[in-house]
Amino acid sequence: MLSLITWAPLAGALIVLMLPKEKERAIQAVSFAAAGVSLLASIALLAPFDGGSAAMQFVERCAWIPSLNIQYFLGVDGLSLPLVLLTTLMSFIALIGSLGIKTRLKEYFFWFLLLEVGMLGVFCALDLVLFYVFWELTLVPMYFLIGIWGGPRKEFAAIKFFLYTLSGSVFMLLAILALYFRAVPHTFDILELMRAQAGWDPRFQSLVFLGLYFGVAIKIPAFPFHTWLPLAHVEAPTPISVILAAVLLKMGVYGLLRLCYQIVPAGFRWFLPALVLIAVVNIVYGALCAMAQTDMKKMVAYSSVNHMGYCLLGIAGMSAAGFAGAVLQMINHGVITGALFLLVGVIYDRAHTRDLSAFGGLALKLPVYAGLMMLASFASLGLPGLSGFVGEFLCFLGAFPSWKWQTVISVLGVIATAAFFLRMIQKVFLGALNEKWAGLQDMTTRELVSVLPLAALMIWFGVYPKWPLDLMNATLARMLGQ
Amino acid sequence: MIEHAYLIPLIPLAASLLVLFGGKEDPHSPMPWVAIGAMAVCLGLSWTIFQGAASGALALPYERNWEWFSFATTLGGKSFIYAMPVGVLIDAPAAVLLVVVSLVSLMVQVYSVSYMHGDPRYKRYFAFVSFFTAAMLGLVVSSNLLVTFACWELMGLCSYLLIGFWFERPGPCEAQKKAFMTTKLGDSGLYVALLLLYAKTGSFQLSQIRLFFEHGYMPAAVATAAALGLLLGAAGKSAQAPLFIWLPDAMEGPTPGSALIHAATMVAAGILLVAKTYFVFLASPVAMEAAAWLGLLTAFLAAAMALVSYDIKRVLAFSTISQLGFMMCALGVGGFTAGLFHLTTHAFFKALLFLGAGSIIHAVHTNDMRLMGGLSKKMPVTFLTMLAAVLAIAGVPGFSGYYSKDMILGAVWEHNRLMFGLLAFTALMTAFYMFRLFFLTFWGEGRDHDRHHHAHESPGLITAPLLVLALLAVFSGFGLSRGHLVERLLPKPVAAHPAAETAQAAPRPEQSAAPEAARAHPADHAHPIHHQEAEMPAPLASAVVALVLGAIGLAFLLYRGPTYPIADLLKSRLRPAFALLDRRWYLDDVFLALAALSDRVAALAFWIDANVIDRVFVDGWGLLTRVFAEIGNALDVHLVDSAVDGVGGLAADLGAGLRALVVDGQVQVYLAYAAVFGLAAAMLLML
Repeated sequence: MLSLITWAPLAGALIVLMLPKEKERAIQAVSFAAAGVSLLASIALLAPFDGGSAAMQFVERCAWIPSLNIQYFLGVDGLSLPLVLLTTLMSFIALIGSLGIKTRLKEYFFWFLLLEVGMLGVFCALDLVLFYVFWELTLVPMYFLIGIWGGPRKEFAAIKFFLYTLSGSVFMLLAILALYFRAVPHTFDILELMRAQAGWDPRFQSLVFLGLYFGVAIKIPAFPFHTWLPLAHVEAPTPISVILAAVLLKMGVYGLLRLCYQIVPAGFRWFLPALVLIAVVNIVYGALCAMAQTDMKKMVAYSSVNHMGYCLLGIAGMSAAGFAGAVLQMINHGVITGALFLLVGVIYDRAHTRDLSAFGGLALKLPVYAGLMMLASFASLGLPGLSGFVGEFLCFLGAFPSWKWQTVISVLGVIATAAFFLRMIQKVFLGALNEKWAGLQDMTTRELVSVLPLAALMIWFGVYPKWPLDLMNATLARMLGQ
Repeated sequence: MIEHAYLIPLIPLAASLLVLFGGKEDPHSPMPWVAIGAMAVCLGLSWTIFQGAASGALALPYERNWEWFSFATTLGGKSFIYAMPVGVLIDAPAAVLLVVVSLVSLMVQVYSVSYMHGDPRYKRYFAFVSFFTAAMLGLVVSSNLLVTFACWELMGLCSYLLIGFWFERPGPCEAQKKAFMTTKLGDSGLYVALLLLYAKTGSFQLSQIRLFFEHGYMPAAVATAAALGLLLGAAGKSAQAPLFIWLPDAMEGPTPGSALIHAATMVAAGILLVAKTYFVFLASPVAMEAAAWLGLLTAFLAAAMALVSYDIKRVLAFSTISQLGFMMCALGVGGFTAGLFHLTTHAFFKALLFLGAGSIIHAVHTNDMRLMGGLSKKMPVTFLTMLAAVLAIAGVPGFSGYYSKDMILGAVWEHNRLMFGLLAFTALMTAFYMFRLFFLTFWGEGRDHDRHHHAHESPGLITAPLLVLALLAVFSGFGLSRGHLVERLLPKPVAAHPAAETAQAAPRPEQSAAPEAARAHPADHAHPIHHQEAEMPAPLASAVVALVLGAIGLAFLLYRGPTYPIADLLKSRLRPAFALLDRRWYLDDVFLALAALSDRVAALAFWIDANVIDRVFVDGWGLLTRVFAEIGNALDVHLVDSAVDGVGGLAADLGAGLRALVVDGQVQVYLAYAAVFGLAAAMLLML
């Protein structure tokens, strides 16, 4: 089943490759079919998934390169299943958003589907080599998707993204190799390594941790490795921004939990004081940088830095509540920020500007758009009743017992988050209508179809977050066990 | 009926969604009556509960919980699944407040049918008001601090939406943002208190946290920290110094919306929060004292500002702040009953004052009292009902405000004589500025002939709520204080008795996970109830009344018109003092400076991000990679290092190559590239 989910987009990608590029409809249809298969199959996992068990489920395992003890090993637990679902859902939503792509469709959808394979693989893989291959597999499609279909500085943004994240991965590769040679017998099996780590000395664990951390910190992105993100976001086409924020960043946090915390816990503990500091900087500094933006998209990009800080803070608390908060925050941030990027895209498509001060009074002209944008903004700034709050709250709840002052500062950082979203709302939607935009049309059906499911999720998970939490509770309680 | 108490917040919530999404926006839409009907049902439900509480037929407190969601958590090194309850906890004070909130909201909505008629967003206004009321009712009945916090924040949203209801104008936009940000600042205190209480008690449920306190398990320092956090939250919502700056601007919204904010919902929430978590305050003398002085300071600062303002709504806003200060001060000195009693009577007369002011503004189309005068003949119903309200807030014997204010002064007298003196002086200021308002608007002749000429009494839908509220403003104090009803309904919780019981009854977090364990402990609230509130000595009480009447007389002398020689003289002689009050103690300027400063800091942060962090960590990283690669080539390196170089160099080469590729990208080229890359990666791994 996991193989089906992971490889269906690849099958789609290959079919797209074989289609003549004039058949744009067919290319789109195949892409939707492939992503749809993944989406439906991942939803179908929910019924047989046992939320009460912390074990890996739907495991698929066979030898891949036996001489090096490399396996084809897939499985999901309460940590990765929510992320798999997030990936399939957001990929599908981003595909709807991709219907607006007009140039070089064939290549676009090919790279898009290949990207989805990589992302799904990262969350499913339980063998480090497999994991690393998928991890790197996301880079190349992303490079082209930004570099070809992006904005004015697309090439620069693409190369910066590519080289920077690749250089992080190098250290991750080093760490992986170190783990392989340390384990007896040599193995890349993540579950084996989790069991083997108890005997390793803290110094080794700390070194390996650093290697892994560089890889994931750039993806998260954790301060000070975050500067590629605003640029990449601003230049990327809308659906790719959605994927970047909704899924790609989550690979980093997932790596932090799965690799750093579970394989080298002693190294993780050693790094905790630094991690909590980074979390606070991400939150406060990210919010401040967002406050200084005049470009809506860049503001949302910096808000991601801010929100990933909550995840880091929750994780640094070393409590199940914080972990639950971090995972939930990943899901919610994916949904909310995905929606925000789609919505910024909506206005950019019409006005060809994202400058905050270029608008004014749009709520009078575009009530539906204004309503959805306000919903997503309030969800993002953590209004209770909308999904952003629950994850953020659990992160704070988990971090507070261990890191009192740091959490208090972060709670104050929430005020800055509110400040920049309210300013955006005021500048763009409120006040007298800027007559320049009197001719703007409200959202089209296609745009609504892509945003409304996300809006529904924001309200659902905000009012009744039981379902996503029940998926992950057992796994997280076990991770923090004893 | 009480088993359906959970419906009380849900009915207006459903009504609000129905009104918002049902039917087309139309200035004459019938949808508002849906919201009004829902509120009437709510009032009916609340009234039956209140009657049960008043007659003693109902066993209170009543608590019922359901499981909301559960999350994995770690406490004391053990991980388990915590089941978050959601439910209702209704004690006698809650029963009183349910009636107050739903009654005032109902009156406001009936009034609004006429007042807001013809507004292009007529329907939306009622949806917001319903939602606002639902959030407040939720706050009243919630059994759980997290739900309390959620309702609390949703009220913040509603006030944001209502204050900025006419968002085309710049004034409301600024005001709504200011309200949201200022209260958000306070909310962070509540947020931290929540985290602290959970970290210590392992529960969000009020009744369990309370047990924890009553068993004396809470260290005093933690109790103080938590109480101060709660106080900060309350200070934001209930407009205590210096966070009250948002409230005077909040009048940018529709006037009946202001009535709701000032009487029944928003500002009452902070006082209610302190009342709901009073056991935390009782465990911390420091926090109690802080609340008392904060309340006193607020009461005084706001009353002083009200002395000089000519904007009728602004005077009322200052008076709200000042009265909230009275309540907070009462709670701080241990006058629980007095504080909540004043919350109740204030809700009636303040709603009446705002709705009356709305009726006046409707008639003369200005907020400026200098342009009013002589309206008593033109608007007899408004005049008489406003008179009742002014007498009530001034504390004239027989009217509702007298009873509650008297009780507050009694509690303060008992606690601290200096505090009493200052608060009593503030009460005199209250009587003075309220009658100043009254004389300026209704007395003498119209000062603006045109406006006066066109002024007329408001229609029945506006005057009917005024009459209902006027009856309450007159009689609610007397009615509630008869036979010590108020002491029975709003009994002061007794302070914790540390270590009175043995440690075995400690609420374990594991227990809290079980929903059936959520029923309130029978010991809860079951203290003897005929607790007599402290009173002033009779001569002192008479003296206060005499002075209040004197203050009213002074207001008459100064402001009966038609000319104001003494007032003008004072104004010219005390120019700096008047300027200070006019600028609202310069607190708004401080706030603006802080906002500007935060913008500066943000700009600086972004400059650092673009020019330092990006340079050092991205460009520097690239440089480092190249240096390493060259060193690597020069040296004989072992396996791991060669991997670094390989990938590092590869990265650089790829980058250069890719840049060229992008320009004339052919799929085939990309594919070839991907293959090469994959192969290279595989080769590296095989090493």
